[in-house]
Amino acid sequence: MRSMNLIGRVLGVGCLALLACAPLAHAAPGGLPAPAAHADSSPEWENLRAKLFPSRAVDSTPGTVQIIAPLRAAYGASVPVKVVSKLPQSAQLYVKRLYLLVDKNPSPVAAVLELTPEVGQADFETRLRVDEYSHVRVVAELSNGQLHMDSRYVKTSGGCSAPPNRDALHLVGKTVLKVREPVAMNQPTPAEVTVLHPNDTGFELNQVTVMYIPPHYVRSIKVSYADRKVFDAELDFSISENPTLRFNFVPHGQGELKAEVEDTKDGRWVGTLALP
Amino acid sequence: MHRLAFLWCLAFWLVLAVPAVAAPGIPAAYAPLVVQPTGAPARHEFDLSAALERARRESKRLYVYLGAHNCPFCRRYEAFLEQNAAELVPHFAAQYIVVDLRSSLSVTAELLFIRIGERSLPYTDFQRAIGDERARMLVYPSVWLFDHEAKPLMQMPAGTGTFQTVPEQLEILRLEQ
Repeated sequence: MRSMNLIGRVLGVGCLALLACAPLAHAAPGGLPAPAAHADSSPEWENLRAKLFPSRAVDSTPGTVQIIAPLRAAYGASVPVKVVSKLPQSAQLYVKRLYLLVDKNPSPVAAVLELTPEVGQADFETRLRVDEYSHVRVVAELSNGQLHMDSRYVKTSGGCSAPPNRDALHLVGKTVLKVREPVAMNQPTPAEVTVLHPNDTGFELNQVTVMYIPPHYVRSIKVSYADRKVFDAELDFSISENPTLRFNFVPHGQGELKAEVEDTKDGRWVGTLALP
Repeated sequence: MHRLAFLWCLAFWLVLAVPAVAAPGIPAAYAPLVVQPTGAPARHEFDLSAALERARRESKRLYVYLGAHNCPFCRRYEAFLEQNAAELVPHFAAQYIVVDLRSSLSVTAELLFIRIGERSLPYTDFQRAIGDERARMLVYPSVWLFDHEAKPLMQMPAGTGTFQTVPEQLEILRLEQ
């Protein structure tokens, strides 16, 4: 009776240890990033700001430019983002450049759009890949040199490594332009350009070969109307597959809306749409 | 005396040592309305009609959860709900009826049907009909938020990974976008 066998003693000690530990056991917190406010900075943004806009002030006061993005998107590989300019696009003062940034993406500069007053209204819509919980930012550079910024915090993940849609590789480069009818002369007119392209990031795994698919993405789209530049877009793989840009342009008469596209493998395509 | 202590301790050890296998599904504390599929194996149809009728009667919203018995991410979300039930249940109960659709990973988008009243649609068509961007891919687990007329209250993300903390789950219940 006095001599509990070895197993009993070990189990007894084990029980005591477990009893002692049990109240301290907690669930893992889930490993999600700490919450952040939409207007917060981040180390990545500070780094980007120093590189893109060295020694220049970036004004984040609301009122000049706004970015609209969901707090959570259906898929990280396709986060809808809208940029709204509060500034009328005039020859005297206009939005000259828009920088679209995703702080925590492997390549955070998703797009740089070089605009002219021909856009009429500097609003843009596209879809972004967001790889992890991150701020998505727009920086508007005005023709007078001022910089204005707005940001949204987006909670999603896996946007850069999501399995790509490879159903229509034979159509890669097909460039489609659409214009919302009726077209009003001398007014900002909504339009859309879509390039059928996988926009491979280099982080996607081919499920069959188990090899990473090399990066291959659209790097520029130049849009003009009647041979007048509307905007040039420098893009990166942070733009979702089948890159789409919704924009405005001001038609001054009959002409052709044209999009010239180039990708990272020197593929070149042109899409056109004649307007009456 | 020692023998009794030993046996008690052994039983206690075994209870702790064998990992508890939680039953699949939303924990009972959330009083889920469990919906089993009908029509298998040709189709797995989940009928939301009764849940919507109850939502109308009680002036509540629906928190529709699609889980699979063999899905590790479902178990993770259900465990999160279980562990935080004391904090979360009052928020769910105040505004939502939790509906637990019990499925399996073998039930793909083509096999999964959602019925509301007379209308039954396969997953992709259902998602398109309600304007849900997740039409492209069926992911387990999935959550929809509906009002009592089956109108989606907000676009939900694929999976539940972005709301597995209490503050984030509450964001979802408050429809923060």
